[in-house]
This record gives sequence, C-alpha cells and structure tokens, in this order.
Amino acid sequence: MGPNLDLDVVGMGASRKGNSGPYLRGMLALSGIEKAYPLAGGSLPVLKGIDLNIEQGEMVAIMGSSGSGKSTLLNVLGLLDGFDSGGYDLDGVNMAGLSEKQAARYRSQFLGFVFQSFNLISFKTALENVALPLFYQKVPRRERQRRAMEMLGKMGMDDRADHLPSELSGGQKQRVAIARALITSPRVILADEPTGALDSTTSHEVMEVLREVNATGITVIIVTHEADIAAQCDRTIRLHDGVIIEDGKSGEVVEPTAHGARSQD
Amino acid sequence: MFNRETWIEIAHTVTANPLRTALTGLSVGLGIFILVVMQGLGFGLQNGVEQDFGDEARNTVWVRTGTTTLPFRGRQPNRRVQMRNEDEQRITEQVVDAPAWSGRRMMWGSTVGYKSEQGNYPIVGVEPDFDDLELLPLRGGRWLHADDLAKESKVCVVGENLLEELFKRDEAIGAFVTLNGITFRVVGHFSKNGRWGNSMVYVPLTTMQRVFNGSDEVDQMVLSTGDLDLEGSTAMVGAVDADLRLRHSVHPDDQRAVRVRDNQEEFAMFERIFVGIRLFIWIIGGFTLLAGAIGVANIMAIVVKERTVEIGVRKALGATSGSILSLIVIEAISLTLISGALGLIAGVATLNVAAPYAQHDYFTNPEVNLRVTITALVVLVVAGAISGFVPALRAVRIRPIEALRYE
Ligand SMILES: Nc1ncnc2c1ncn2[C@@H]1O[C@H](COP(=O)(O)OP(=O)(O)OP(=O)(O)O)[C@@H](O)[C@H]1O
Ligand SMILES: [Mg+2]
Repeated sequence: MGPNLDLDVVGMGASRKGNSGPYLRGMLALSGIEKAYPLAGGSLPVLKGIDLNIEQGEMVAIMGSSGSGKSTLLNVLGLLDGFDSGGYDLDGVNMAGLSEKQAARYRSQFLGFVFQSFNLISFKTALENVALPLFYQKVPRRERQRRAMEMLGKMGMDDRADHLPSELSGGQKQRVAIARALITSPRVILADEPTGALDSTTSHEVMEVLREVNATGITVIIVTHEADIAAQCDRTIRLHDGVIIEDGKSGEVVEPTAHGARSQD
Repeated sequence: MFNRETWIEIAHTVTANPLRTALTGLSVGLGIFILVVMQGLGFGLQNGVEQDFGDEARNTVWVRTGTTTLPFRGRQPNRRVQMRNEDEQRITEQVVDAPAWSGRRMMWGSTVGYKSEQGNYPIVGVEPDFDDLELLPLRGGRWLHADDLAKESKVCVVGENLLEELFKRDEAIGAFVTLNGITFRVVGHFSKNGRWGNSMVYVPLTTMQRVFNGSDEVDQMVLSTGDLDLEGSTAMVGAVDADLRLRHSVHPDDQRAVRVRDNQEEFAMFERIFVGIRLFIWIIGGFTLLAGAIGVANIMAIVVKERTVEIGVRKALGATSGSILSLIVIEAISLTLISGALGLIAGVATLNVAAPYAQHDYFTNPEVNLRVTITALVVLVVAGAISGFVPALRAVRIRPIEALRYE
C-alpha cells in the first residue's frame, strides 16, 4: 500500500506570523558559515565557509565523502547545533544568538527531523511517537491522537499504531519517524541518511514518501551517500572537506574524479 | 506545568521502566519504613518507662527496709529491719523537712467481699498525702482524710477493677465491703494505669495497724522532695539513709537492709538513657535518609543518562529545556513521594500489627512521630527532586545534537 499524502501546506505561510513576506534570499540562507569542533589541543574545522540558499519547496540532496561535514551542516540547518561564525537566516529571521527557548519554538513549528537510526522513543507506541511533537505544541491529547492516527494512515501504518518500535521493521520505523516529522506540518524536513539503515527496496519506498512530502510544498533536505537517492532529488550539493564544491540540478552534478574538482574562490 | 498532559506523560515513563521505578521506590520506601519502625521502637520504650514512672510523682523519695546482709556492731546478718511509726515521726519531724509524706503498709491477697461476691486484692494502708505522692486520679467520692486516720475509721478507697469485678452495676460509694472479714465503708474510687494499680484497696494506715495486726509497723515510707533540685533531694536521701542505719544498726555498705530511692534521680538516669536512645535513632534515621537520598540520586543520575538520547529526540521534536526539566523533576518527586508514603503506611501498619505482641512493662504504645516522619519524607522528596534536577539540567543544557549522539 503506497502512501497517499494529502498534506495541507496551502495557507501555511499565512499562519506564520510576521516573517511570511517575500524575501530576496532563500527560506534557508547560509552565508560564510564556519564551525570547528574543539579537540584536545586545538580544534577541528569542519565547516569552512558555507554559502547556501534553499528555497521553499526544494528537494535537496547533500552528498560528499565521509567526514566532509554533511551531518554537521544539516544539524546547523536544523538548529540542533550551533556554528562559530557566519550568518543563518531561517524564513528571514537571523538564527544567530537565538535563545534556547526560541530555538525550541523553531524546531517545533518549522522543522521536522528524520534520522538514520529512526530515534523513536522505545517505550512509546507508534501512535504515541507520532503524537509527541504535538504535545510540545500543547495540542489536547484527543486531538493529538486523532491527528497522529490520520498521519499514520497516510504513511500506510495505521494498522501498526499500537506497536512499539521494537515490533516494527526498519522501513516501518522510518515511516513512523517521517509521520512524526510531518505531524506538525513543518516547512522543512531534514533527513540525515534516512535510508542508510534500509535495504534498497525499502529505501525506495521511503524516498517515495519523501518525494510525496516534497510534492505538497514542504522543503526536503536529505543527506545521503547514495547517488541513486540523490538522483531522486531536484538539487544536489556536494561537500568536500567543509566546503561546497558542487551545487546543481541532480544528475548534472558529476562525480568528482579527483580532488582537483574542488572549487576555490 | 502541572497539567493532566504532564501527568499522563509521567505515568507513561514511570510505567515504561518498572525496574527502575521499583528500585527508586525501594530505596525511598525502605528508608522511610526503617525510620518509622525505629522511631516506633524508641517511643515504645520511652512510653513504657514513662508510664512506669507515671505511677509516682517524680519528686518523691521511697524508703524501704529489708534483711541485713552484713554483720554490724556485734549483730549478725539476716536480721529483719522493720520501720515503725516512731521512725516515720522522727524522720519527718527531725531529720528532713518534707512538705508531704506517707507511711505505707501492704497486705497482698486479702479477701475482699461485697454481698455474695468475693475476690483477692492487695489492701494498702496509707496516709492522707499518699494520693499526691503516687498520683491517684480519683474518679468518684473522696480520698482518705486526716480525720479518717485520727479516728481510725473503717473506710476505704478502691481501684477501678473492683467496680467491675465486685460491685458490677451497684453504686460503690457508700457500700459496705468486708476486708479480711472486717466491714469497711467505700468512700471513693480511682482509676490508674498499670497491672496492679487498679486492684488496690486503700485504707487509713492507722486503721490497718489497729484492725489487722495491732502493730505500729510501716513497710515503706514515701517522702515528697517538694521543689528541691537533684542536689537537694540527694541530700534528703542521704539524711534519711544515715538516720535509719544509725537507729537500726545497719552497716553503711549494706545495700539490702536500708534502701532509699530517689525518683528524681532515677528519672534523670532514664532521661539520660532516652537522650542516648533518641540520639541513636536520629543517627540511624539520618543514615537511612542519607542512604535513601543517595539511592535516589544514583538512580536518577542513571535514568537521566539513559534518557539523554530521548532528551535529544524530544528537543528535536520541539521540547523546551524547561518542559523536559519539569517532566523529570515532577517524575522524581512523584516517585519519591508515592514510595515514601507507601513506606510510611507500611511502617505504621507494621507497628500497629506488632504492637499487641510487644506489650511489656517497659514497652507500650510504639507510636510514630508523624512530624519527624513527614520531615523525613519531605527531605527525601527534596533529595529526589534535586537528584533529578541536577543531571537533567546537565542533560538539557548541552546542544540537542550532543544529546542525540550520546552513548
Ligand atoms: N562532536 C564532534 N566532536 C568532534 N569532532 C566531530 C564531532 N562530530 C563530527 N566531528 C568530526 O567532524 C567531521 C565531520 O563530521 P560529520 O559528521 O559532519 O561528517 P559526515 O559528512 O556526516 O560524515 P558521514 O558521511 O560519515 O556521516 C568529521 O571529521 C568528524 O570526525
Ligand atoms: Mg553523517
């Protein structure tokens, strides 16, 4: 049974107060983002000046070799991690120096996360996992459950509503996780290797779901290693050693033959 | 913060981890339980001894005599030393200045008859001050007067037990009873704790001496020390002791022949023991509490650690640090509060069930000091709250991604 998404994004912009006017820069706008991890006896620079614009409704793949900084970039975009310098505007609002409480509000209302390891809460059923983000939006319990059930239905998972994560297959877990990411009608879905733990058939099903999510107008950003996953996105960004070396339409981005492909400016 | 949603969420996490819920509950519940039972035992001991003392006023000196154990001034041991009226008179008039006193003489197992009823009770001859010295709460009629003693009246004051056993529904006051065959009139009755207290029949000492044995013998003497301090009462004891030994030729080291006991001093000794016992209970209780608090802190630390990734997930889903903190703290508080309350109930129940089997002269009413126990409970709940709060604060302070990556 394929997912049948009917996500309401029309009028979503209108429901966001203040910042919904037209802006020149993308909905996610990074400029000169730098980030280093502190290490014993120094620090390890991981993002070395990232400039990036992503518009509402785009479906973007972030590729690059292991350790190139893909996850770090996604976490910065998702306000799960901070950055050292540069600018990050989300929906026209500067995210630098955001308070913890404000960041929580953005995560709650703007962003949805899908992880490689699913990150479902083990003692909660599929339904309760999906309903949880609404708890933090103070939606009443009955309403939460109704909406969670509906969302599980759209993922073709309503018959697994009462199952614990341990009773689900990998693909089923990821569907539940996607349902949970979508329940708050976010504007951006951030997925770090969402198919990394799945076999290729299941991977394609999950990608199918994400494409349908994107079709409703939600921005989807996927970190992936796999070229055929990236190929299902509209745009591919390639990272190398903390800088963007390629950025273009998926399929047009060529595999770098050597490190010489790195762009210097 | 304290809404129904939060409670449902807490109920969820608490029931999702039955083992750690049980462990937390055990460390708190057991702590409170031990505290309650220890306290009960301590209070039971104290109540028992205090009740024993409650029979007598504390500011009294009891004088008794017995048989000699040491030869003295050419007299052989095993001689019976008997106090007489003249001893009492001399001691109270010349030796000490007691505000009240009474001689006392006792006839165990005397036959008391009323109509066709009959029973064995101790008959005690005393003087008018005795009711103050032994604290006899009069429940009806009157106590013995000086006049009764002067006239050697055949009147008596009976304990509560006789009302039930002898008089049944009859009015006791004014009734005539036979004491070893001699008719006395009941003028009052009293009620008192203790095994024998309520079975006594008090008659004027003079009447007893005249009617029953035709002697001037006195078995015991009770002297009030008034408002003398311990030093004063000790001096009084010394004076009486010395006088009796002199008059009856008793060796100064003879412990049996002359025994003068100062209630105030004995009580002071018991007080010291109680202070020791109480201190002991406090120390044990303190350690129990400490152990409980450490147990809770340990478990909460583990819990928060275990849930660090969950905290990261919740944050990614839009939870604020405050909401996560309050969730964990309220959870810790509810856990400690409920298990502490259960421990308290179990402790009180144990004491109540065990109490009837543990009745003893020196052990009654193992009551629980609720104030102390509640304080202990509050301490544990606060400890629980803090030990939930501190690691939780650490966990929510780190960036969500660090929590998510936590292993
Ligand atoms: N918390 C951290 N502390 C220190 N160094 C880190 C930390 N997280 C990542 N790094 C380092 O930063 C670099 C980039 O890590 P990142 O996880 O962004 O890579 P990635 O592109 O996602 O790699 P992969 O494809 O293997 O997931 C790596 O060299 C990694 O070792
Ligand atoms: Mg990664």
